[in-house]
Amino acid sequence: MQTLTLPHNLDRRRFLERTTRGLSSLALASLLNNQTDQALGDTVDGAANPANPLPHFAAKAKRVIYMLQSGAPSQVDLFDYKQTLKNLHLTELPDSVRQSQRLTGMTAGQKQFPIVQSPWKFNRHGQSGTRFSELLPQIGSVADDLCVIKSMHTEAINHDPAITFFQSGNQQPGRPSVGAWLSYGLGSETENLPAFVVLLNKNSFFQAQPLYDRLWGSGFLPSKYQGVKFRSTGDPVLYLKDPLNSSASIRRARLDRLSALNQIRSKTVGEPAIDSRIAQYEMAFRMQASVPELTNLNDEPESTFKLYGEDAKIPGSHAANCLLARRLAERGVRFIQIFHRGWDHHSNVKTHLPTLAKETDQGSAALIKDLKQRGMLEDTLVIWAGEFGRTVYSQGNPNTFGRDHHPRCFSIWMAGGGIKGGYSHGETDDFCYNIIQDPVHVHDFHATLLHCLGINHKQLTYRFQGRDYRLTDVHGKVVQDILA
Amino acid sequence: MLVCRHRLMILIHTLGLWKSTLANQSIISRVLLGLVAMIHGSSVYGEDHVRFATDVQPILSNHCYTCHGPDENTRESGLRLDQRSSALATAESGQTPIVPGDLQRSEVYQRITSDDDELRMPPSDPNHRLTSQEVNTLAQWIMEGAEYELHWAFTAPQKPEMPTVSESDWVQNPIDLFILKELQRLGRTPAIVANREALIRRVSFDLTGLPPTLDEIDTYLGDDRPNAYERMVDRYLHSPHYGEHLGRYWLDLARYADSNGYQYDTEREQWAWRDWVIHAYNSNLPFDEFTIQQIAGDLLPDSTDLERLATGFNRNHGITIEGGIIDEEYRTEYVMDRVVTTASVWLGMTIGCARCHDHKYDPISQKEFYELFALFNQVPERGMRGFAPQEKIPSPLENPEVISLKRELQILQRELTEPIDLTKQISKWAASLRRNRPLSWEIAAPAQLASSGGSTLTKLDDQSILISGKNPQQDIYTITAETASTNLRAIRLEALTHPSLPGGGPGRHSNSNFVLSEFELEAISILNPNNSRKIKFKSVVADYSQQGYEIGKTIDGQVSNNSGWAVDGPTRKKSATAIWVANEPFGYEGGTQLKFTLKHQANFATHGIGRPRLSITSDMRTRYEFTNIPKSILAKIEKPFEELAEKEQQELTAYFLEKHDPRADLRRQIENLQNKLNQLIPTTMVMAELSQPRTTHILERGQYDQPGAPVTAGVPECCSASTKMEIKNRLDFATWLTEPNHPLTARVAVNRHWRRLFGRGLVETAEDFGIQGDLPSHPELLDWLATDLISNGWDIKYLQRQIITSATYRQSSIVERESYEFDPDNQWLSRGPRFRLDGEQIRDSALSASGLLHTQLGGKSVFPYQPEGLWLELNNRPGYSKAYPQGTGEDLVRRSIYSFWKRTVPSPMLKTLDAPEREFCTIRRSRTNTPLQALLLLNGTQFMEASIFLGSRMMLEGEGDITQRIAFGFRLVTSRFPSEEELKILRQEYNASLQQTVDVKEDDPSLGLVIVKLRDLQLNPTQLRAYANVARIILNLDESITKS
Repeated sequence: MQTLTLPHNLDRRRFLERTTRGLSSLALASLLNNQTDQALGDTVDGAANPANPLPHFAAKAKRVIYMLQSGAPSQVDLFDYKQTLKNLHLTELPDSVRQSQRLTGMTAGQKQFPIVQSPWKFNRHGQSGTRFSELLPQIGSVADDLCVIKSMHTEAINHDPAITFFQSGNQQPGRPSVGAWLSYGLGSETENLPAFVVLLNKNSFFQAQPLYDRLWGSGFLPSKYQGVKFRSTGDPVLYLKDPLNSSASIRRARLDRLSALNQIRSKTVGEPAIDSRIAQYEMAFRMQASVPELTNLNDEPESTFKLYGEDAKIPGSHAANCLLARRLAERGVRFIQIFHRGWDHHSNVKTHLPTLAKETDQGSAALIKDLKQRGMLEDTLVIWAGEFGRTVYSQGNPNTFGRDHHPRCFSIWMAGGGIKGGYSHGETDDFCYNIIQDPVHVHDFHATLLHCLGINHKQLTYRFQGRDYRLTDVHGKVVQDILA
Repeated sequence: MLVCRHRLMILIHTLGLWKSTLANQSIISRVLLGLVAMIHGSSVYGEDHVRFATDVQPILSNHCYTCHGPDENTRESGLRLDQRSSALATAESGQTPIVPGDLQRSEVYQRITSDDDELRMPPSDPNHRLTSQEVNTLAQWIMEGAEYELHWAFTAPQKPEMPTVSESDWVQNPIDLFILKELQRLGRTPAIVANREALIRRVSFDLTGLPPTLDEIDTYLGDDRPNAYERMVDRYLHSPHYGEHLGRYWLDLARYADSNGYQYDTEREQWAWRDWVIHAYNSNLPFDEFTIQQIAGDLLPDSTDLERLATGFNRNHGITIEGGIIDEEYRTEYVMDRVVTTASVWLGMTIGCARCHDHKYDPISQKEFYELFALFNQVPERGMRGFAPQEKIPSPLENPEVISLKRELQILQRELTEPIDLTKQISKWAASLRRNRPLSWEIAAPAQLASSGGSTLTKLDDQSILISGKNPQQDIYTITAETASTNLRAIRLEALTHPSLPGGGPGRHSNSNFVLSEFELEAISILNPNNSRKIKFKSVVADYSQQGYEIGKTIDGQVSNNSGWAVDGPTRKKSATAIWVANEPFGYEGGTQLKFTLKHQANFATHGIGRPRLSITSDMRTRYEFTNIPKSILAKIEKPFEELAEKEQQELTAYFLEKHDPRADLRRQIENLQNKLNQLIPTTMVMAELSQPRTTHILERGQYDQPGAPVTAGVPECCSASTKMEIKNRLDFATWLTEPNHPLTARVAVNRHWRRLFGRGLVETAEDFGIQGDLPSHPELLDWLATDLISNGWDIKYLQRQIITSATYRQSSIVERESYEFDPDNQWLSRGPRFRLDGEQIRDSALSASGLLHTQLGGKSVFPYQPEGLWLELNNRPGYSKAYPQGTGEDLVRRSIYSFWKRTVPSPMLKTLDAPEREFCTIRRSRTNTPLQALLLLNGTQFMEASIFLGSRMMLEGEGDITQRIAFGFRLVTSRFPSEEELKILRQEYNASLQQTVDVKEDDPSLGLVIVKLRDLQLNPTQLRAYANVARIILNLDESITKS
């Protein structure tokens, strides 16, 4: 791989000094952004607090792979086993349990709320004996590496506000996404790839909820911290390919001429931002090599596809994205987020849920196994989570049953860097409706995530509109119990 | 003063007396006291007073106000440090927080210097630790008497006195005095004046967002009269592109988009409002009116269309259509958005904090927030699909389609007023009638009448049959009539109305309807009754049929399944007519008895026809029509019009005008055109006021479902000290904002313009003029600009001109690197502005330089190039999603302000270049520099296409040899001639490209679709490619995407 090519007439040390001015040693902006913001008229006034360098303490995780299951998977049918539901099946959900909590407009008008137990078996797995639905046999096979949080809860009850809340700590648009906070705070470990990469599934499920750019946006942070989408069709990164299909040597020569002209200008004008522009073009050139190399799976041995499944050969499948996530992690990308859509089952759970479980089960488990065999699980935080849970009562006909949105309790799992494996945290009531022990709020989840990366969530701040904003707003407690 | 305090710090440090090196706190205090005393006694430091507003308040606000500030709910120990009275009074603890002149007894001082982690303030949070310099400042302030001041931005701006400067040759206008004074204080000198090429490029970008054309450059370079610069500036101020460019900044503030945001992000039609903004800037609407119309145009007396259109500003927020949301939840969010946006844009206040609690830093209580909220809470709107209120108002910028339709309309309308020769027209009509006589119907006079269900059938004078009496479930009428006619071809049935029938309609059912299941006819020879036949019909038509009950069903041989003819009796209550056409002519010599059978056998009860009349005709037509010209009229057409008696003429004329007015056709055409025009007028969301005001409550924790005490409309006290007036509605509010002594409106506005031109505001936090905001770098200049704007009638073009014609603005940005290192942000303005252009400008300038730009003003948003699949990969939900409908032709090369703005998937071109999503108000875009930008500019279709066209311009319009042509292209983009050295490098690219073989088809979409047009130019493809590659490098130069 090509190393950083500096303009020949520029002293390397001076160059680096200039390009990092304005950024403190603690908020190492990702290499994508490694430049003189101030000289460009941009402000970098956020986390740059020399008195409080990042990481705030020793980090357990260096990077995050976050599989976001959009649409909200059913905790009732996948993770939160309730023997008690057997006897409650088809009985009316008692008012004492519902406590006149808010429902969505989709079931608020329902006359009855019949409880529907999960039609699937829950098997014990591993030494921990953690139970998983029979729909997730592969995830079950890595049970001892996982920490299942059964007591997640959130504030929003509809998709848009809930997923926005999970991604940014606020229901309304405008705040930076988790990945943007991290690339702002920790920067990148790679010179050839962005610090924050987003992978989308190629979706065919007809009821999949839409996604929005804001979910990986930078909010009020400088826009360079936004996630970069790696696409499964067309150029993996937008505009990566030269439309004239010029060879690398031709592109190199052209870029040298462009750089030479920019250097002439730099000498005339005296402004350091021009040097920074030259460096960005160099990185663009490197990405033209590093990205295709990354997304080309031909160098993976057949054993990889045994592990991830044949699906991994289909671009845009969950398995392919998991494999790509591992390859990105290997190459030093800080925050990798996979979006898998299609979990929003308001009807026909029996048909739809097995499909979604099958789409995600093997790839998710393979990622854990693969990271582990490469010795990377210990410093990679892996997360598998939707934006809320689903109701234990049926939406519509209880025979073909659907499940509505449920923010009062739901399950997610985490694994790897800093997290206790083979452990279940929190407990819900017999109805799988309310939390009775160790509730974990989305803000707590964020605080814990940052903690694993060596960040005190109260101290990663950015001054905007006169206020020091945090991912966790003014809330959030680190969930100590789930830390290794 | 900053420098002096710095000296104090150095003094303390060099004396080694700072507390980190000493354990005993009282010693420190004593030493400090001594120091301060020493300083005070010294004439050297005589001017070294700390000022509350500039030195002290920022420290208190940053570190203390969260717990000891305006917010009552989170206030600790009852102590507030934002008010002197509280800070100097004895606290709950019995201690006195601040004793002026006495550090020992000032608890605040003791606590901020305490070694005890439990006692030290602020509490242990590394981000809020006070630096030793900050402690010093506070100490000095207490020693000097702990005086408080009102926050600078809450007092009305006063026209400052002009500063005196030593060398004033440089000065062009008052702005320069303020700048020069500070530069001289810092020991700096201004940069030289930029050269003319640089100046025209800077001005052109700043006033139109486009690079200057070569003609414009040459005109300016050749103008050696005095005031050439001012003339050049004025030309751009009058360009129609001025409004497009300034409007574009306003759209970020107004969070304008073409989609609704949130979950499904469906399309909206708000572009007429966008056109309003462009028009307002172009017509130089004064900023006070610009403000009043947008905030309260609908409330102005006799408001005009445009004034109401302006209020679209406050409807540009996102609107959700997500199933399952609660209406009030989102309606509340829309109002919140309005309050927060309005406060950011006009007050420069970050008022959103006070939604949930009293503001932590600025003196704005939660109650005051909801008083403002009350003003914007009176819209008759909903949360779910809350698009209303809307209004159809034409864009003030007319697009070509509208213009051509209007022209057509004008011609027709003129024709309509021209006199017509009625006699001629009537004669023409009569002649055509004579040539093509209408059907002559012979009414079949009924003879025998029978009802299968026992109804009473009565013959009326007009030979119709009125049915009355018993109203059976089902009924079959049998009616006979005799005729002498032969060669009969068609039967007509009129189902007439009658006052005695239910609802005065044509049917017997209480809803006025009927269902005729089958219609049959038997013809019987009168001479030989054994000679008879059932008539078969080949077709039937009716002048009206109910959907699902078409007339054809009367001859389909079916009566089951309600098969039959009905006429929407419940809603229509009118007569209806049907004509059955026989397979072959019928009628016997010597007379025929006709036996009609009307079967009513549908499952609907009592659905008989109420008053049938039957007629027959021998006329043969290919189409039987329902003309029904009265006999009296037909009689009058036999003679020429002139020969008719006057009365007859009048009757005929009246009939003709009623039925065949020659203007009717014109009118119909006009109506069609007007409909077309109407369809081109978009429906824009605008503001309106509820007739019954909604009560506004304080919302506890900002939650829609937790109303607290009711409040009435009002404005925050902190910014209304100089402008007391009663505020009852939005109009009062807008008027208040534009009061000449309003402390914020003008300052906030001029600061944004300053920032637009210089890349940095005089107040860098353009969105926050509150206590946490940055202090102005040149407070007097800010006030001078604000008061100057007001006293010049809020004239925005005047303001642009003032700034742009200053010497400050005209400075060169080509200076020693030392200048950039001394002042990276150019806060002190010792050089001209230099920063990267916004995404829109970069795209527009590539289009302009390559000659592709289509300069039409206004209209529907367009869809330029975009990589495939970006919309569907995020949203593929049937009914709520669609693929990006990429435009064709000129739509691909319009200015970027017209690019369709989809909030959840903004244009990747603009997004990569730091455009916001526009999901909320953005006051300051970030300006970053990334490899993704490099990829976009190198490889994006729009830029590739521009390179090819720029290359073709070098070949077609450039003159001389290759090098000269390259220089021509270089100048188109950068506005200057390249140096020899630069040309040499570009020429290398040209030569290298000639040698390359290219593995790409000419019609590859990634090159841009308009390449087809290039083929028509018949250029040598190898050369064109070489020029295009040169163009590509030129368009990617740092200089090309930079305002310099």
